Amino acid sequence: MNQDTAYQEAYRREKNARREAEQLLEDKSRELFKLNNELLDTNNRLKEQQSLMLRNEKLATLGTLSAGIAHEINNPLAFVLSNMESLRRYITSYDALLNLNRQWQKQEKLPPSHSSELQTLLDEQDLVFIQEDTEELLTDTEEGLMRLRDIVQNLRHFSHSQESERVKADIAAGLNSTLKILQSELNDSVALNCMIDPLPLIECNLGELNQVFLNLLINARQALEHNQNPQIFISATSENDSIIIRIKDNGTGMDEQVCKKVFDPFFTTKPVGQGTGMGLSIVYGIIKDHKGTINVNSALGKGTCFEIRLPIVSTS
Amino acid sequence: MKGVIFNILEELVEQRCGMQTWNSILSKLNNDGIYTAGKSYPDEDLMALVNAVSAKLEMPDSEVIGLFGEYMFSQLADRYPIFIEQEHTLRGFLKSVDEVIHVEVRKLYEHPNLPSFNCIDTDDQTLLMEYRSPRQLCILAEGLIRGAAQHYKTTITLEHPRCMHKGHDHCDLIVRFQS
Repeated sequence: MNQDTAYQEAYRREKNARREAEQLLEDKSRELFKLNNELLDTNNRLKEQQSLMLRNEKLATLGTLSAGIAHEINNPLAFVLSNMESLRRYITSYDALLNLNRQWQKQEKLPPSHSSELQTLLDEQDLVFIQEDTEELLTDTEEGLMRLRDIVQNLRHFSHSQESERVKADIAAGLNSTLKILQSELNDSVALNCMIDPLPLIECNLGELNQVFLNLLINARQALEHNQNPQIFISATSENDSIIIRIKDNGTGMDEQVCKKVFDPFFTTKPVGQGTGMGLSIVYGIIKDHKGTINVNSALGKGTCFEIRLPIVSTS
Repeated sequence: MKGVIFNILEELVEQRCGMQTWNSILSKLNNDGIYTAGKSYPDEDLMALVNAVSAKLEMPDSEVIGLFGEYMFSQLADRYPIFIEQEHTLRGFLKSVDEVIHVEVRKLYEHPNLPSFNCIDTDDQTLLMEYRSPRQLCILAEGLIRGAAQHYKTTITLEHPRCMHKGHDHCDLIVRFQS
């Protein structure tokens, strides 16, 4: 073997050795890369699960609190409302008495001394004004009480402390009828894209679920108010043992902080006095009551998607 | 571009024209010629080498790239048999390429210029591969597909009606399998 051939052989050996080393590096780095990707995925899933768990725990606590508050307010509210009814009746009687007195006074049926004494009392106590104002006070009070009653009702919806009637019903029909209610309002301003598959019947309270759809659609429309190309996508489909309903808009969207609180009772991004902050809390309560789940995905400036999953198997 | 591609080009030149030719190409380009399989090197280096090879062989660039693609497949199959073993048919293999490229490149680098293959089963005999890459190396892709067909002992015809070099946003590589 001459020198050249020896070198050539050594070169080939070296080359093969290098190839082996490179292959080892490639194989190991591929393994690492794949493992790392799996880890990243698992980590992300864990994070999502954790935040979902925190949210559910928080909402469960708020549910208990709301149920307690609703119950405690409801009892005094009931007797205040009932007392108000009696009070209105009583006041009518007093009004009649006062009116009769004033009528007699006008018709000079009273002795002059009594008439002037009556007039002094009327003036001193400002009874004519009191009579007028009482009516207004009663109306305002009743209005306030009605509002309180609504809030209590909403809180009870959220904490799902009410037993509701369940019958087998077609959710697709419910969704379509809700859309019909909103049609005139939506059609003028928003492009609607619906993909509603025929769905299996499930035991549910369709009235409550329609309220869910209505609340979500109204929210979507409000998120689209300043949009150039407003669109709402509605899809309903069944998959294995769940019905999946998605209501998606391309509106303002929400940041992470808002997303976290969106189901909290009394949380609202609207100015004071314009929203009760109960709409999505009620939605959450109703879905929970149906043993379903609701999740929200949102990005600022891109839009929001609510996804509802309801079990097809009867909830009993 | 990964170093292994440079290694294979070097082998091809060595085999066909001898070590001396490769050395002279490197020295003309002032290139030290050190390429290790897993590392990424500038695309321009490869293109310069290909140009020099075609000048030496007095062949057009595209022809050299096509031949190189065919040769490259057999070499890659030799080095990374795992990807071939996973797929038993040419069609299955071609459809797996996109995923393989992404893992093989990204395992070491976050690469911005990754090519992509979107495969559409047009019918039983035809596979449409949409090739997108800022490198526009569709001729190399053609060569690789031919190399793969030889490996799987499958007769194919290859059409390339849409091409990025003709101003389209991607290339359509239509693979017809002869039964």
